[in-house]
Amino acid sequence: MDLFLKYLSQPYLLTGIVYTIVITFGGLVGGSLMGIVLSAMQLSRFRALAVVARIYAIIFRGTPLILQMVFAYNALPLIGIKLSALEAAVLALTFNEAPFIAEIIRANVLGVDRGQTSAGQALGMRPAAIMRRVVAPQAFRMMVPALGNEAVSALKNSSLASVISVQELTLRSTQLASSTFDFFSIFFASGLMYIVLAGLIALVQILIEVALDLDRPDPRQRLAALMPWIRRELAPAPTAPLATGEAIATEAESAEAEPEPESDPEHLPPLDRAARERTLASAKVVLQIDGLVKSYEGKRVLDGLDLEVRQGEIVALLGPSGSGKSTLLRCINRLEGWDSGRIKVLGRHIGLSGNNVPLSPREIADARAEVGIGMVFQNFNLFGHLTARENIAGPLRWVQHVPAEQAARRADDLLDRVGLSHRADALPRHLSGGQQQRVAIARALASNPQMLLLDEPTSALDPELVAGVLGLIRRLAEEDGLTMLISTHQIGFARDVADRAIFLDGGHIVEDGRADRMLSHPENPRTARFLRVLSEDAPIPA
Amino acid sequence: MKHSQKRALPLLRRNLHRSLRIAAMALCLTLVAASFTLLQTTAARAADTPAACQALQQKYPALKGKTLVNAVNPHTPGYEALDPEDPSKYVGFDIDLGEAIAHCLGFKLSYKSVTFAALLTTLEAGQADIVISDIYATKGRAKAADFITYLKVYDGVLVAKGNPKKITGIDMSLCGTTAAENTGYVEVPLIQALAEKCKAAGKPAPQIQLYDNNANCIQAILSGRADTYINDANTVDGAVKAYPAKLSKATAVTLPYSVGIAVPRNKHDFRAAVMAALEAIQKSGMQEKLMAKWNLPKDQMETPKLVLAD
Repeated sequence: MDLFLKYLSQPYLLTGIVYTIVITFGGLVGGSLMGIVLSAMQLSRFRALAVVARIYAIIFRGTPLILQMVFAYNALPLIGIKLSALEAAVLALTFNEAPFIAEIIRANVLGVDRGQTSAGQALGMRPAAIMRRVVAPQAFRMMVPALGNEAVSALKNSSLASVISVQELTLRSTQLASSTFDFFSIFFASGLMYIVLAGLIALVQILIEVALDLDRPDPRQRLAALMPWIRRELAPAPTAPLATGEAIATEAESAEAEPEPESDPEHLPPLDRAARERTLASAKVVLQIDGLVKSYEGKRVLDGLDLEVRQGEIVALLGPSGSGKSTLLRCINRLEGWDSGRIKVLGRHIGLSGNNVPLSPREIADARAEVGIGMVFQNFNLFGHLTARENIAGPLRWVQHVPAEQAARRADDLLDRVGLSHRADALPRHLSGGQQQRVAIARALASNPQMLLLDEPTSALDPELVAGVLGLIRRLAEEDGLTMLISTHQIGFARDVADRAIFLDGGHIVEDGRADRMLSHPENPRTARFLRVLSEDAPIPA
Repeated sequence: MKHSQKRALPLLRRNLHRSLRIAAMALCLTLVAASFTLLQTTAARAADTPAACQALQQKYPALKGKTLVNAVNPHTPGYEALDPEDPSKYVGFDIDLGEAIAHCLGFKLSYKSVTFAALLTTLEAGQADIVISDIYATKGRAKAADFITYLKVYDGVLVAKGNPKKITGIDMSLCGTTAAENTGYVEVPLIQALAEKCKAAGKPAPQIQLYDNNANCIQAILSGRADTYINDANTVDGAVKAYPAKLSKATAVTLPYSVGIAVPRNKHDFRAAVMAALEAIQKSGMQEKLMAKWNLPKDQMETPKLVLAD
């Protein structure tokens, strides 16, 4: 025991820790930087880069670190690169950690819901902005535990630098054991030192996790959670919503219990169709689609589709699943490319420059922002790490460069309009589906778009939440004069709100006409059958 | 007066801040510097320089004032190991001899600690300039470095107390036993060569466990994993001294090798300088004194000769 304590406090061993930390830290920082590059290469749209990154991973993940250390130390001098032992160890650990960290980054970037990327694109955010504002913050939160693991394994791997003469803890321990023969006391002492170092890494990991925990809104509170002795001073602490399923469920329920701001659309008086028809007849065409063809894996989803929509017109897109409704909407603001045909929206061909040359994703993003098309998705696609207010104000700042204060005010106005001002600081996951969709609509409206595309906005909602969202859409139609394309299965809503209904099947427009007439008395037998099946609320027969 | 005091206070605080910052920086620098100087072992300098050294320093002026790197495997107490009293230093006969040669030629040595198997690769990669680490000069190793010999080889056979397996040397008594050796040791092929003979006599071949330092080999016998460890007699004696109740030396073995200083193959000037310095040190009686200091028997002394690749 005396010997153990002697070695535990021996400067020779303690100085060895300095080398261990330098190698570990250097390897992790270098590995993270390289890992970011490698994961970016793998996720890139250029295949050649992905192949290079893959080959790198095969080589450096497939060979033992000890060989890489010896290589960096003994083989690099043969080509004129003579590194010190410490440099060689850091280099080898960097090259070794990089592919592991790259995989952690890649997995967590892919783990962020793709819908949020679509939403960012629809809002006109550039790819880099989507990565920085939406994907990276959420991916990083998820990868902290894996990175903590990687840091501990790098710490232990640093001991392999003993083979290339770096005076780190393991090498010093073995040397000391050789000269003193106090084998066990020395290794227990250095083992304890490693455990303390790994414990420090775990502590840093916990601190980061707590600091990034979105469910604790006040940053002071986040740290206070770790320090119970000062928690009292911060009282009265607001009851922070807990991330337990039960707590969220109760909250969502209570939120739904309060009356939705919109009354049931079924009970609203029908639109003044005659007046609207007169106005629309003289309105200009804002969307013109000619011969649109799009295939997925050889299957034609859109097969030569033509369509004209006038300013202020509200068009309901109907049709069975797979009829191409969503694809059509996604093509209109260039979230999807297509095979042939043209789409001219608000006077522009999105995705093509003036000379019909295809644009880069970044240029397409700018074009979307300039044209101004709002989009609402079936699955809401709110940015999961941002509050309701930030979901609206953020894109205004990033895309339209609205000053922060003004953007926040605009967000609060819109939240008020959709009846959610009391939930401005709530995270999407603490909102019910209906509330989320109303925030999503507010977000789509924030930049004052001229056209709104709604892709089955109520399909993912529980039946009792549908009415509130439909009521909101109807009010937008009446008050804002927005041009709207809505794909929906809500026949009653389409009949009451839409000026025009379009029935899509097999990538064609099967029937196109005044919504109230077509939905009450369809002319095409396929339309008729589809409407009958929907009204029976039965599954479509095979 | 009052006025200036008021102004002086923030100034004082700023100065205090600055000096604190400087102090912190200095502390960091000292820590870094200290950890580096710890590497630069200051082994006991040989007391006096043989007279011939003056002439050698004039003949090889390029070496003067330089700091060369000596790669060692510091797991061999008596030859090279950490000083148990001050682990920042290396001590042993090889260390003293190296310092004497360096002193004679007017350069300084710093030390690089590597595994035994990495001694020559480190030299070949240019990460070290010289290897003085109880390494036997064999024709095989001479393909990687030129050797200048300085000691004869006497091996001892380390066994558990009482020699339960009745081992009598590198001979048929090893059949069916397990020997612990370090990777790259010359004893390894000698023991492996016994396999054929053992089989011919209807006995199982000897097994070899490979480690990378003496301490591990000695532990292998203490823990019963291995029956013997055959290595330099002085190392074996040291182990017996450390564990008198558990280990003993069965016998001594003479190997047809010498211990040598390894230098890079393409640096003939340097090789000649080291050899001349070694000869001067032997002639002056200094090597004998150092051998006595580290309890090496007198008749282990060997006149320097070159061992080169064919």
